[in-house]
Amino acid sequence: MFKNLIFCLILFFTINGGAIAQLDNKQAEVFMLEIGDKVITLLTDKSISNQERANQFREILSTKFNVKAIGKFVLGRYWKQANEQEKQRFLELFTETTVASYATRFKDYTSEKFEVIGSRAEGDGGVTVLTRIVRPNGQDIPIDWKIFEKNGEMRIYDVILEGISMGITQRSEYASVIQQGGGKVHAINTALEKKLSSYTTTFSSPLQK
Amino acid sequence: MKFILTIFFLLSFTLTPAFAQEDAWSYTSDDLHPGEEVHLKTQEMDEILHSRDGVEDNDPLETINRGIFWFNGILDLIIIEPLSLMYKEILPEFLRERVGYVLRNLSEPIVFVNNVLQGESDDAGDTLGRFLINSTLGIGGIFDVTTDWGIPYKREDFGLTLASWGFKSGPYLVLPILGPSNLRDTVGRVGDYAFDPVNWWAYLSDHPLYSNVRTAVQILDAKADNIELVQELEKNSVDYYATIRTWYDERRKDLMIKQKSERKALDTPRPDDDD
Repeated sequence: MFKNLIFCLILFFTINGGAIAQLDNKQAEVFMLEIGDKVITLLTDKSISNQERANQFREILSTKFNVKAIGKFVLGRYWKQANEQEKQRFLELFTETTVASYATRFKDYTSEKFEVIGSRAEGDGGVTVLTRIVRPNGQDIPIDWKIFEKNGEMRIYDVILEGISMGITQRSEYASVIQQGGGKVHAINTALEKKLSSYTTTFSSPLQK
Repeated sequence: MKFILTIFFLLSFTLTPAFAQEDAWSYTSDDLHPGEEVHLKTQEMDEILHSRDGVEDNDPLETINRGIFWFNGILDLIIIEPLSLMYKEILPEFLRERVGYVLRNLSEPIVFVNNVLQGESDDAGDTLGRFLINSTLGIGGIFDVTTDWGIPYKREDFGLTLASWGFKSGPYLVLPILGPSNLRDTVGRVGDYAFDPVNWWAYLSDHPLYSNVRTAVQILDAKADNIELVQELEKNSVDYYATIRTWYDERRKDLMIKQKSERKALDTPRPDDDD
């Protein structure tokens, strides 16, 4: 017990002593709680139209996530191969398919709750906030959020669902699509366009003509 | 019941090293405590967890795998999904949860064997405690008493044991009916089947169908629990096969990490200069 206490004290002082870029855990938790509550309200409030829900999701995605960094990571080794136009188009399509998938997902959500369980400072300067969605009928869903602070602004960089990183999953999925399309970045944009048009019934995006 | 406990005790005496008994009841596995023992230090383990290659580069049998994946999809559509929807419709949530608990309790003996093979003495103690208490106080596992006491279920299998010994995953495989796997986890499945004390008991007491029935109910129960999640996943992916492939790989890696803070070295999107 005593040994643990000393250890914690030492840990406390070393972490705080070297705190230049390390994001504050509590701050990150508060940041996440706000977003989580907003998202849960969007998902459970049935008086909001699909269009409105999608617009609000787009707003959250562009202000609370670092879409460019995520898009870049997700495209992985193919980011460098892509030309400016392809990159731009990819980021637009990536944003819109993400918005569409979340806006039309969880149709049966009614009285779910969002809870922050805790957080963990990571070696790379980011903080992982551990949360869960408490469902009245069904098992809780654990979701972790990777947050970094840059230029005094916190942003979400990855979503980890039941231990599965969405960034890594999508990177692998997109790489597979690009490989099958002969290694051309164009292939993933075409596939995302096709995916986006499959959502039209419930949702319309500014990218759809 | 008496027989299974006898077998189980015999087994625990032959397989349990002395250290596995010590500290049996202390439960400290909380993600958020600093200064805890770090489990995975071996270089092999590091390589397994933090390899730069994605699972998409580890699928030499992709053509065959995609074929089996397609076959499994058809099977799912015409048999498993309708059955699990029926199962979900007929049994109320509360009863389905009991079924899940009983199945899980039946898997505790093989989890225990794997805890011991991995040399995880604390986990072995927890698992043994869970099995004994939930089988008696929890009436054959119908109620999960120990989770309320702070000893939740922790999955282990022989595939994870092989990984803890430093075996790499080998190529990604899709198994007929059973779905995504890899060479190591396929060997693991066979190992779990062969070493499962409950399977021995069933075999010795002339219930040859037990294992098949258990697997079938497991598949139905898991499907019923996750039916919406899986539908969403399929609807929202551009290459469903690739999505499942990564999900499987990531999930298995996550299960290998006993200490969640070990994940820190995992690569995630991060800030850089031009975003």
